[in-house]
Amino acid sequence: MPGAPAKQADFFRAIAGAVPHDVARLYWYARVTLLGDVADLAAFDRVFEQWFGRGLGAALVVPPPVRDSEVRSPRDGAGRELPASDARPGSGIAASALATAGRRGFGRTDPRQRDLMRLLRDAWPANLPTLPSRRRRPSRSGRELDMRRTWQRARRNDGEIAELRWTTRPRRTRRLLLLVDVSGSLRQHTPELLRLAHAALRGVPERTEVFTFGTRLTRVTGALSGARVDRALHAVSGAVHDADGGTAIGAAMRRFLDNPRYLALARGALVVVISDGLERGDCTAMIRSTERLSRLAYRLIWWSPLACSPTYRPVTRGMAGVLRHLDHLGGVRDLASGLAEVGRIPSVAAGPRRSAHLRRE
Amino acid sequence: MDDEESLAVALSAAGYFADGGLLTAVHLALRLGRPLLLEGEPGVGKTELAAVLSRVLDRELIRLQCFEGLDSGQALYEWDYPKQLLRVRTAEARGEAIGDLYAEEFLLQRPLLRAVRSERGAVLLIDEIDRADNEFEAFLLEFLSDFQITVPELATLRARRTPVVVLTSNRTRELHDALRRRCLYHWIAFPDAQRERAILHAHVPGLAEEAAAELVRAVAEIRALPLLKRPGVAESIDWARGAAALVDGGSAWPTALRRALGLLIKDEEDTRLLDERAKEIFHHS
Repeated sequence: MPGAPAKQADFFRAIAGAVPHDVARLYWYARVTLLGDVADLAAFDRVFEQWFGRGLGAALVVPPPVRDSEVRSPRDGAGRELPASDARPGSGIAASALATAGRRGFGRTDPRQRDLMRLLRDAWPANLPTLPSRRRRPSRSGRELDMRRTWQRARRNDGEIAELRWTTRPRRTRRLLLLVDVSGSLRQHTPELLRLAHAALRGVPERTEVFTFGTRLTRVTGALSGARVDRALHAVSGAVHDADGGTAIGAAMRRFLDNPRYLALARGALVVVISDGLERGDCTAMIRSTERLSRLAYRLIWWSPLACSPTYRPVTRGMAGVLRHLDHLGGVRDLASGLAEVGRIPSVAAGPRRSAHLRRE
Repeated sequence: MDDEESLAVALSAAGYFADGGLLTAVHLALRLGRPLLLEGEPGVGKTELAAVLSRVLDRELIRLQCFEGLDSGQALYEWDYPKQLLRVRTAEARGEAIGDLYAEEFLLQRPLLRAVRSERGAVLLIDEIDRADNEFEAFLLEFLSDFQITVPELATLRARRTPVVVLTSNRTRELHDALRRRCLYHWIAFPDAQRERAILHAHVPGLAEEAAAELVRAVAEIRALPLLKRPGVAESIDWARGAAALVDGGSAWPTALRRALGLLIKDEEDTRLLDERAKEIFHHS
């Protein structure tokens, strides 16, 4: 628990000014001054409990709506965890609901991959959709008068306005949100797909967010954003515990949408889901979440390794249901096919919304 | 407002029912002169608290609504260029000296500066700080630690009376640690049943006792459902008002509650979910 000196000083000033009469008051004094984020509340309560009370914390704790980055393993209708016998990692056809595989390495980056990643690093920012910024900037070709600068010029000419200055709203890249499936059925593609995401983070830092999902949902933006790709992938393999395990796409997406902080990342963003869409069991949740995601996003693109094959038709129940909410369904299985699909983003952004099914039937 | 008890009395007289934690937070913010950062689900009364505080403390309420692209010209001050220009022109025409163009009369005061200059002290509400850019937070730091603003052409302006600063956030993005460190922090949870009843009584005059109890119970059950947007206190007040209006029009309470549901739930998907559960939730009615 971080307790910065400034916060500690606040706490001491608080109790020095008026000595709290009971533990409840002391609890609130400490919480208001020392706590900085509701996410730390559980830890704070534990520490407070250890120091000041036996069985007291339970009465005081207001349960926070903790919506953590990690997703619980899926439950059946009655709220029990699904039986472990369902766990059969590796096969995408019968993807299991429970992750069993753990940490996994993603190999070293070879020279061919490095070349492709360099191309991708330029391709990502060049092809992402943009929108006019709220903040005006000085510009020769602008349309709105820049009073401040015009006046500054005029002052040098004794108040004579000799030339006008203008401002414009420069275009700004929209946010990019990548949701990468790391379950067992994509096992052979995962290392390259994560490199694709790394190139996006390098090409459009600040505007890119990356999540992985299998049976859980993990935000890997931080882990993946280092400059050195192999080191970043190592960090990701430490953060992602459900790699090569089962799939629960619907549950993971639902979890994403339930968290208001994550939700805000999807709003108005270009959302790219990289997954084969092979959902285990009932796919209603996946379809409904996709529908919602599609409404939030500026454009929703789905990249599937299966779609690389020219004979592929999205006929599984899950993909068939998802398709009409998508703006584009593309085939991506490695860096090269990823580069090709990134180049297609502008035409997707220019086209009508939710038209993937028109092109794919 | 020397202790929490008198604060509680004053706030509830103004129609705001705070729980113990919030009272402590407000009390400490006033006593230590620290900004108060409030987080919580939408509609739990974060913004309302600032409005009520301004009434209770008899201070001016100054509101800064944050949005993406908010800059210092909109938050702090700006020089009134057209006015300066006019002054130059009239001085010229009359053959007078131009005088000082960077005097206070040419300063357009924006919310933060107004809070600093306020004569009787201000309650400054910096609303939805999470909507502003990261850079804006950095820019707030000087203001929040010293309550002063430097206008290079003029002077460094200090607050005459330390303003009471309330920041609210809906947690759509992470706030920077440096900002959190300067603030007292409180997470406002949904009110418990008793407090919510008190709130309804204060805001919906003429609400019958059983109706209020029924309403609060239903709202609590609805909040426990996996909704996209859980209804806040503001929504439950709207709902109670709507239902009360329908009852005045001749409806019975249970039907009025169900018919006014659109004031509580504002999402099509949530409405569908609620329709499925309507029997359980309204089984008492």
